[in-house]
Amino acid sequence: MNSIRIKKGLDIPLSGKPGPTIEPHVLPTDTVYVHPAEFEGVKAKLLVEEGAAVKRGSPLFFNKRLTALQFLSPGGGRVEEIKYGPRRVIERITIRLDSKEEVEAFKKYSPEQISGLDRAEIIGHLLATGFWAHIKQRPFSRIADPEATPKSIFVNAMNTAPFQPDFHVIVKGHEQAFQAGLDLLTRLTDGDVHLCLAAEAENSSKAVTEARNVQIHAFSGPHPSGNSSVHIHHVDPMDPHDKVWVVRAVDLITIGRLFLDGEYPADRTISFGGPGVRPEACRYYRLRHGAALAPLLEERLRDGEHRIVCGDGLSGAEVDAGGGLPFYGSGLTVIPEERERLFMGWFAPGWNRYSPSRTFLSTWFRRNHAWNLNSNLNGSRRAMVLTGLYDTVMPMNIMVDFLVRAVLAHDTDEAIALGILETDPEDFALCSFICPSKMELSHIIRQGLDEIEQEGI
Amino acid sequence: MKFLLKQMENIKPLFMPGGKLEKLYPLFEAQDTFLFTPAETTRHAPHIRGALDTKRMMITVVIALIPPFLFGMFNAGQQYHYVNQIPDMGWLDHLWRGAGIVLPIVLVSYVVGGTLEVLFSIIRRHDINEGFLVTGLLFPLTLPPTIPLWQVAAGIAFGVVIGKEIFGGTGFNVLNPALTARAFLFFAYPNEISGDGIWSVVKDPENVVEGFTGATPLGAAAVAPRGVNIVEYLSEQGFEWWTMAVGLTGGSIGETAFFACLIGAVILIVSGVGSWRIMAGCVIGLFIGSTLLNRLPAETYSSFTQLPFHYHLVYGGFAFGAVYMATDPVSAAATAKGKWIYGVLIGILVIIIRVANPAFPGGVMLAILFMNVMAPVIDHYVLQAHIRTRRKKAREESLTYVQTQER
Repeated sequence: MNSIRIKKGLDIPLSGKPGPTIEPHVLPTDTVYVHPAEFEGVKAKLLVEEGAAVKRGSPLFFNKRLTALQFLSPGGGRVEEIKYGPRRVIERITIRLDSKEEVEAFKKYSPEQISGLDRAEIIGHLLATGFWAHIKQRPFSRIADPEATPKSIFVNAMNTAPFQPDFHVIVKGHEQAFQAGLDLLTRLTDGDVHLCLAAEAENSSKAVTEARNVQIHAFSGPHPSGNSSVHIHHVDPMDPHDKVWVVRAVDLITIGRLFLDGEYPADRTISFGGPGVRPEACRYYRLRHGAALAPLLEERLRDGEHRIVCGDGLSGAEVDAGGGLPFYGSGLTVIPEERERLFMGWFAPGWNRYSPSRTFLSTWFRRNHAWNLNSNLNGSRRAMVLTGLYDTVMPMNIMVDFLVRAVLAHDTDEAIALGILETDPEDFALCSFICPSKMELSHIIRQGLDEIEQEGI
Repeated sequence: MKFLLKQMENIKPLFMPGGKLEKLYPLFEAQDTFLFTPAETTRHAPHIRGALDTKRMMITVVIALIPPFLFGMFNAGQQYHYVNQIPDMGWLDHLWRGAGIVLPIVLVSYVVGGTLEVLFSIIRRHDINEGFLVTGLLFPLTLPPTIPLWQVAAGIAFGVVIGKEIFGGTGFNVLNPALTARAFLFFAYPNEISGDGIWSVVKDPENVVEGFTGATPLGAAAVAPRGVNIVEYLSEQGFEWWTMAVGLTGGSIGETAFFACLIGAVILIVSGVGSWRIMAGCVIGLFIGSTLLNRLPAETYSSFTQLPFHYHLVYGGFAFGAVYMATDPVSAAATAKGKWIYGVLIGILVIIIRVANPAFPGGVMLAILFMNVMAPVIDHYVLQAHIRTRRKKAREESLTYVQTQER
């Protein structure tokens, strides 16, 4: 095991951390949803119509840009509604479940077979089941190109952002599936598979710390020590023309189960927390893939208006509470919407507001407080000032101010020289969190990456 | 408060697009967000944000400016009473008298500068930036207490318009606006801002205290005869190190008190708002410059060259400039290494300008303005070096990784 200590960064003391217990039963639901719009770079072409009968595992649509990649129904029943958004983008497919669900049978593999599987067979199976979408490619953080061979593959089993699920909790009961997933990955690259985990875990599971056939790296230090970009930067840095694949450990369980069980996994474990959730309800739940969120949210939220975020509060995406669990939904964080206006907030001593800046009393006297942070911008948008503040939370050899400036100026050559291809928008979330000018840095970097991708490196 | 908030919400439609006073929106926005924090919520990830905003950063600088501001008022009054031989005055009298001298200058600066700031944001359709709260107070503190008020108005107008707004407003300016304003007055009206007669308010020139020349310590040091012991010479003129450091001498309103600036520096560094690298760099540069000059043979060069480091540190506007002016994040170097280079060069330049050019005994303003211009060049080279090492380091790290694997 290789240990790496990260010094720069910030752990955000958000309240509502999910406790380590898992609700034993799968939450009942009669509807599951698929959101084709959540797959970046996928142009969906439907294979079913409204009213069609589907099994759990039947194909619903495929990607016009890569026809081998198709996406399956997470439940068996009838297609109730296909909802289109602007420009005929398929926003949501609603499937009403049958009381007796039919399941599509795929080929079953034993753990021994998996370690001898051929690369083409693995890729073919993952593409045909849609779980290929869990494998992301750097640079640009897109669904991986199956034609490419990555230099190495990074598996992320960390949870430093508030709140990503604790993988050591989620892996319980799925140890074999996780190892199977790792074994599958080793067949996809000529280089190493790197498993990155926290140096110290509260609920440590041996399936993770003693995983086989991979290189294990233990990271310690504040967020973003759990971000894959940081792992790649410190373990096996990329050159602009390198390709590295990144997979979240939670998704490897789904992939492993697909191969071992020979069917579309029936359920998954997700974390549920944040300041908007009642304290006693902050823990782990078992849900069907794509399950309607309403049964989970009901009775478990505090009063008031909330924003449901798929993923963590720093880099997640807002989801519709009336829809289902997203494909990438390994955890939900509920953030209260806050529009209250404080009198002369800029002059108040700052006992009740959280900031890592030392201009607030809270920074001095309330160090261990867990904060009910909300969606308020906490200030007005102002012109960018190069303060060097961003660099205090960036544990990579990257000068954030200048990188952002290069992107804003559409100077793609400079942005590449400054290392944008090593990064992902999520790496700039902390910079945005502390920015006094309230700049949307993650969004700016995403646009910069898109621009470079279109122009070609 | 609820009532006030309701009033603001009621008049808001007037200023929104389509409203009667749509053009005055920046003015409304400034007033509205001054009174109440904005209600705006995040649109993109991250969904949560820290509580620090530019208003709070700027107000921290204003708070850090209070010690030199208060002391400047006190000193202006104290000087007035001393020079005009008005006996039996307590510290409160000094402060009261000083307020009468200083407050009009500050007021003119805020009103004229603020009006222009608002005017520009209305024409250019950008928000009113809080940075002006700092500029409007910094500028008067760099002026002598005798400055005519119309010059204050002309200066701040020049600083706001030419120093900042024509570049596009805060964040885009090359020079520090407050120093630009002062430099403008310095070169346009040298009689009122340099020389000996202007640092204390004189009521009746016939009735000043005996031996009063009005010189600042720097002015006195610049004309010291060759070959004398400079420290003793200054002491004979009444300029002991301690009086200098405390600041009970003539000079620009905010610059005389070294200790007041030190308190400001502590506030800025502890709160993380001002760059300690720049401040430390300035002091190191000043040390390098003064120590090198001290090595010159005293017989052949002006005795000013022999002034030790700790005198330079407390003299003139050095502390004020290093703490409040050089650290302006917009006009300073932005890279960490660049800040060191920028600070050290300011310190060295201060010494060179002070000692080599008796016409500008207060070299701090010019040194900082010059380095403001140079800051982008410094950053450019630091950035190029960063890009080169990025490539190299990436390769080295891959190598160490392979080595740990083999072990």
